[in-house]
Amino acid sequence: MSHESSTTPQVSASFDRRGLFRIGGLTVAAAAFMAACSDPASSAGELGRVGNGQPTPTLPEGDVNDGVMLRTSASFETSIADAFQRMVDEGLLAAPSTTFPELGDQTELVASFIEHHRKSAETFNQLALEAGAAEPFTCGNPRLDSAFIDPIFERVLEGAPATDTAKEIAPSDDPTRDMVNLVVTLELLSAATSQALVPQVTQPSFRAEAMRLAARSARHGALMSLHINPDQYVTTADLQNANPAATTTVAPTTTVQDIAAPETGDTTAPSAPPPTEIPKPVAIPSQYGSLAPITYIGGAGDENGVRLKLNFETPSLNSLTYDFTTCE
Amino acid sequence: MEIESTQSGVEAEQRLPRRGLLAAGIGGAAVSLLPFFSGRASATTPPATDESTTTTAPPRQPTADDTALLAAALQIELTVEGLYRQAIGGVAGWTEQQAAVMTTLRQAHLAYANSLSGLLGKSAPSTRSEELFDEWKSDFSGSTDDVLQKASDLESALVATHIDLLAKLQGLNGAALVASIQVAEARHVTALRHLAGITDEAELLVDEEAESLLGAG
Repeated sequence: MSHESSTTPQVSASFDRRGLFRIGGLTVAAAAFMAACSDPASSAGELGRVGNGQPTPTLPEGDVNDGVMLRTSASFETSIADAFQRMVDEGLLAAPSTTFPELGDQTELVASFIEHHRKSAETFNQLALEAGAAEPFTCGNPRLDSAFIDPIFERVLEGAPATDTAKEIAPSDDPTRDMVNLVVTLELLSAATSQALVPQVTQPSFRAEAMRLAARSARHGALMSLHINPDQYVTTADLQNANPAATTTVAPTTTVQDIAAPETGDTTAPSAPPPTEIPKPVAIPSQYGSLAPITYIGGAGDENGVRLKLNFETPSLNSLTYDFTTCE
Repeated sequence: MEIESTQSGVEAEQRLPRRGLLAAGIGGAAVSLLPFFSGRASATTPPATDESTTTTAPPRQPTADDTALLAAALQIELTVEGLYRQAIGGVAGWTEQQAAVMTTLRQAHLAYANSLSGLLGKSAPSTRSEELFDEWKSDFSGSTDDVLQKASDLESALVATHIDLLAKLQGLNGAALVASIQVAEARHVTALRHLAGITDEAELLVDEEAESLLGAG
């Protein structure tokens, strides 16, 4: 009995005032110790890093606003002007074309296009500053240059080296054809870029100015298309829509291979596959201004006859020249 | 008194570290995790910034003012379609190629009018501008080359009209539609002038755009 009476007070004594002071002191000490061990850089409450690795880089915030969109348009215009300048400087438009023997030298015409695109870039940069951009973007679009324009020049002029799985590809069989087609493609892209800008900027004045410039680019593309393909003003599809009675029921073949054709029996000499067909440009390629990808096909075919094929698109998140994008 | 005599013993001293340290450990862990939890909590709360967004997003649908402007554009397109129709039927001597282009462009203007009508809905006018039609009617007669030249001038005026519209339209849907029409009509000018036999680049590329038709009809 006396033993029981002495046990009860001993238990309660472990949580008495002195014990609580000790617990409190230990708690504060432990918290101070852990706080001291934490990474001072992570003041937002993140746990400290273990080891000596580099801290995770913080990517800049990519705000998309009127200034960024207009800077991007300026960069596209500069890229186009630079591409045309290279064609003129290297004489790529002067040589006769085997595909288009009646084409003639297009150097003077394309040289006149350069001035328009340089002025367009200046105008877009000026509008970007009005829209609040910190500074203009005076060089070409990095994405358009590196992923589209430079590879085309490389493939057309130099071909492609052999790899472990593919044979070497020769330079283009008709560089002039590929360059004039690139002119048409880039003019279509210029017009489409301005058209795509219209619902993306907030000020009507920006839209009107962009489309004033787009009209000129569209006409460049139409004129160059008529130099390449003088008899084709409208597409067959648009013509058939306008004349429903004239439509034909015979669908054109979509492939050169016809598996239903009877075998000739001559299997001794397999011929090289035909190269990818390059469609001729049309002055009025669609009833409305199109924002669909613009397909460019050029260069010599590879061992299977496949030429370089790229789809040019209007600016998107990976090709915008954000405020932090610089000309480096 | 009895309690004090038992508490001050060695037993009491030995019990405190085990239980006390356990409690201290839990308490310390709880305190040290507080910043982590507070950080999580703050991540779900929008950060307070001094800069407030002042840009007002433009409306998608046409405003009341836009509706009037787009209705005028629709009437102009219907008028142009009527002029092409008159020329195709009334002028003799079209080559097959010229007829194909004129017919395609007439159809395009009808499509533009229908698109604008679809955007405007019940408020869309269904008739052309007779005033504008009468003004241009005489230009769409004579030789085929003359008509092609005048048609290209009218297309240039349409381009100017649409640039004029774009500077005024607030709604994005209307602006986007007008832009897609304008860029196609810009190509019409070059194609028609080329078809008419014009070779001067300044004319083919339209160094000087015609006057806007907005308010003319």
